[in-house]
Amino acid sequence: MSEIEIKNLSKKFKENVVLDGINLSINKGDVIAVIGPSGTGKSTLLRCIDRLETPESGTIDLAGLHVDLSARGNHKAIRELHQRTGMVFQSWNLFQRKTALQNVMEGLITVKKLPKAEAEKIAREQLANVGLADRANHYPKHLSGGQQQRVAIARALAMQPELILFDEPTSALDPELVGEVLDTIRKAAQEGYTMLIVSHEMNFVRNVANRVLFLENGHIVEDGTPAEIFGHPKSPRLREFISKIDRLQAPEYSI
Amino acid sequence: MGKLFDVKMVFTNIPQILVYLPVTMELAISAMAASLVLGLLLAIIKEKKMPVLTPIVNLFISIIRGTPVLVQLYVTYFGIPMVQKYIAMQNGTTYNASAVPPILYAFVALAVNQSAYNAETFRSALQSVDRGQIEAATSLGMSGWQILTRITLPESFAVALPNLGNAFISLIKGTSLAFVCAVVDMTAAGKIIGGRTYRYFEVYVSLALIYWVITIVVEQAMKLIEKKMAIPDEVPVVQGSENATEVQRAAAV
Repeated sequence: MSEIEIKNLSKKFKENVVLDGINLSINKGDVIAVIGPSGTGKSTLLRCIDRLETPESGTIDLAGLHVDLSARGNHKAIRELHQRTGMVFQSWNLFQRKTALQNVMEGLITVKKLPKAEAEKIAREQLANVGLADRANHYPKHLSGGQQQRVAIARALAMQPELILFDEPTSALDPELVGEVLDTIRKAAQEGYTMLIVSHEMNFVRNVANRVLFLENGHIVEDGTPAEIFGHPKSPRLREFISKIDRLQAPEYSI
Repeated sequence: MGKLFDVKMVFTNIPQILVYLPVTMELAISAMAASLVLGLLLAIIKEKKMPVLTPIVNLFISIIRGTPVLVQLYVTYFGIPMVQKYIAMQNGTTYNASAVPPILYAFVALAVNQSAYNAETFRSALQSVDRGQIEAATSLGMSGWQILTRITLPESFAVALPNLGNAFISLIKGTSLAFVCAVVDMTAAGKIIGGRTYRYFEVYVSLALIYWVITIVVEQAMKLIEKKMAIPDEVPVVQGSENATEVQRAAAV
């Protein structure tokens, strides 16, 4: 039995169907990459799983917790879902009026109700883990984009979530800062966190993920290991998608 | 008939008027405090688009902003005794309108008036808070109340602060109308002095000087508070931190 079960997740914006009855089983320790053309609902999938968007239908099961994602008013279950999952956003979304340390401590104090000293200890460890021990007293505006995203990752990891959702964590970064964030995510993956990552960094996906989902038009078109997805794509749409990416990564010209 | 304009008198009036400075400031500060609380409540109701309450709040704000504060002071001054009378009639008891201190009328009118303006200030400040921070707090599992008090309010208060400072300054000057509710504040005291000496011009110049100086002081105080509320430009150095110098160097880069 899988650790996390997502069933029949559907979401539409007005008439536009973004997710169409998605079913997904996630095993503990899975690092799943979600790839696909833009506008196919990759981010929406993550945002529905974390219930930042309310889907039309769909349920999620974590150990001992069943949540109807489409229901309104089930605040208690939704809060427990939020507590047991973590999210890292494309635009970092750090608390602007809090230092890096306070950003990481916030959830530990308010949600986990830890004493301040203990929260600070954990937060400092997490910041050290992402290589930012010396930036504890910096406010977000004093940090580069890559550093802000690493603080955001530390903030998510500090809560020890059963599932971490990464929503295009490097898309808003300058190219030279992408590497440090990917390294941080890779490290977390090696520590055994269960992850769902939307990413356009195909080399990273190939190296870090143990499973890749190709999402198109609200369906999971293909689901397999990176070797299967990139080496032996079955559907024509995936073949086309991968050839386009390969073309991007190929040299501009050859002799 | 003496001098046309008695400059000396402008200044000799000031100590007599300043006796009533506490009345003016009490009224201004208490009305501001009450209007902050009420204004924030109104803003949250509007922002959360609460059913039933939102149209009532909209109507309230429209009426308050659409009528002069002087009229509101009169309405309060004559309205509260009528409410008292009605309650007394219902209960078969007697009432005593003069048992209510006059400053209470002025306080109610000014607080209610200011709350309508503060509500709009708070609402635009609440709207200015970046959705992403609220989503981040939500996804951590924070409750609505925790998000409001720990993320949204501190953020929006910093945004609202300059406007609230302006509001406070205009409220201080607004207290000069409190004489219509029989409150003896600085302006009323000035009128009394003028009535005694027939030197109205001098006494109003004295008043103008006093209000101006108060405003300058408040402006400077607001600047200080704004500076304190702002996220520091430099990385704050924690005392005793071993890597303080390193942090400072990093900030300079």
